[in-house]
Amino acid sequence: MSADKETLYKQLADAVVDMDEDQAVATAEAVATAGLDAYEAIEKGLSAGMERAGQLFDEEEYFIPELLMCSDAMYAGMDVLKPHIRQDAVAEKRRVVIGVIQGDTHDIGKNLVKIMLETSGFDVTDLGRDIPPASFVQTAQEIDADIIALSTLMTTTMDGMGEVVRQLNDQGVRDKFKVIVGGGPISQGFADRIGADGYAVNAADAVRLARRLTSPEVAAA
Amino acid sequence: MSLSPKQRLLDTVKKKKVDRPPVICTGGMMNAAIVDVMNESGHTLPEGHFDSELMAAIATDVHRDTGFENLGIPFCMTVEAEVLGSDIDFGTLACEPKIARESFPSVKEVVYRDVAAMLNAGRIHTLAGAAERLAKMNPEVPIIGSVTGPISTAASIVDPMQFLKELRKERDASHRVLDYVSEFLIAFAQTLVESGATAICIGDPTATGEILGPKMFSDYAVTYLNKVIDGIHATGVPVLVHICGEMKAVKPSIPQLHADAISTDAFVNLKLLKQEYPQLTTMGNVSTFLLELGDPDKVARHTEGLVKDGIDIISPACGLSTASPVANIRAMTGIVKNSH
Repeated sequence: MSADKETLYKQLADAVVDMDEDQAVATAEAVATAGLDAYEAIEKGLSAGMERAGQLFDEEEYFIPELLMCSDAMYAGMDVLKPHIRQDAVAEKRRVVIGVIQGDTHDIGKNLVKIMLETSGFDVTDLGRDIPPASFVQTAQEIDADIIALSTLMTTTMDGMGEVVRQLNDQGVRDKFKVIVGGGPISQGFADRIGADGYAVNAADAVRLARRLTSPEVAAA
Repeated sequence: MSLSPKQRLLDTVKKKKVDRPPVICTGGMMNAAIVDVMNESGHTLPEGHFDSELMAAIATDVHRDTGFENLGIPFCMTVEAEVLGSDIDFGTLACEPKIARESFPSVKEVVYRDVAAMLNAGRIHTLAGAAERLAKMNPEVPIIGSVTGPISTAASIVDPMQFLKELRKERDASHRVLDYVSEFLIAFAQTLVESGATAICIGDPTATGEILGPKMFSDYAVTYLNKVIDGIHATGVPVLVHICGEMKAVKPSIPQLHADAISTDAFVNLKLLKQEYPQLTTMGNVSTFLLELGDPDKVARHTEGLVKDGIDIISPACGLSTASPVANIRAMTGIVKNSH
């Protein structure tokens, strides 16, 4: 029985890495039929597969088209398994509000970060692209976010990131959130200058950064 | 006797010996219509996107105030996508136009239209009129018409996330869309040349090694860039191509491009690239961060280094920030002009 379980989890992970949506759905259905723990199947199967896909991306084996197809397979499997998750199995998730700053409609990078954060167990609210700074601040307060993640590809819109930090300061809520930034023209220096809590160079790095910033020690500091 | 800026650029791309490199900024993706210049002249964007006379006036202001040795139009990368059906947000004085919504959810749903008829749509006549006016007034300055590359144009009419996946999943339909987009880009560029453009520059920021990886870059980007370049070459003008990103994943593909000059991002060491592929005419790559945030001295020193390295055409490394101070750009162009 437990060999079966491990085999199914491995099949789930492989389906994700192989970008095989149909296989991911079929295996997820097998998991559900067998009455296995759906939460565990997501974690040890689909998420593990996505993590491997992220590694292949880091190693330049996979590029953005491949990573997007892996994530399609992951979400397809997830859609099957989600209704089977027992509520008591769900740990409280860290919440992230993410979006592309006003003036810019390039969202490939933001979408990758969103996928990788969701894969890693964050609860992500995606505002989309071309988003005014005030919307980030408002949504972060509404959903009681842990992290505000800002993306831009255009140098002309970088100032909007500073504006988010300024508005958080003005409203006296800066300490409630960690602000992270990324995108083509962004650097650690820029993040420091606008008073952001961190900068990530790519989607995998954004996950490491988000984990670090929400770890109990840092969150308490 | 000193060369005219037009002759210097044309000689440079033909690999003839010149007194010093040209210093240019092509327009399009490399738009140089900075806020400083527009505030000074009162000729402003976004209005200038829609009016030939104003567009020509802004290009002339940029040329005069920055010292760039060309006239570059348009000031955005949305002319093509607009004609092909996408919704455009035309931006503001400081913020360049962008795609508000791509017209098609998938490569399989693209509506194919008649290329000749599309040449009467959108802002194509505006650009042609501006090129004509500029050419008439400036016989010695190269007019550079900028065109968005095939991959970026396709990703501006089809939802980009879907498009990138479909490059793998729906190869036939992807090729068909790219072929159609390329046909349109050739016809558009030919219109610009007929109106007086001396050279065409193609910027294709979605066609990078980081996004596509080497295989797809070779299968799609090289194939369709070359198709467009060949189509433009048929009119007799040179084609400059800008490649974004670090380029390391796709470097072996670069010499396969039929371009007359290759422009790169700031990450790329152009001197080394030239050593590796001596046949390339290199263009670049003054850091746009430095141009925005540095001071004139630093800009001049950095630019001088590129001239000493033998870079053939000096140009910003990427799209300029519209907030770049004009003094920094003058420092860049000034040091090149004094370098012989």
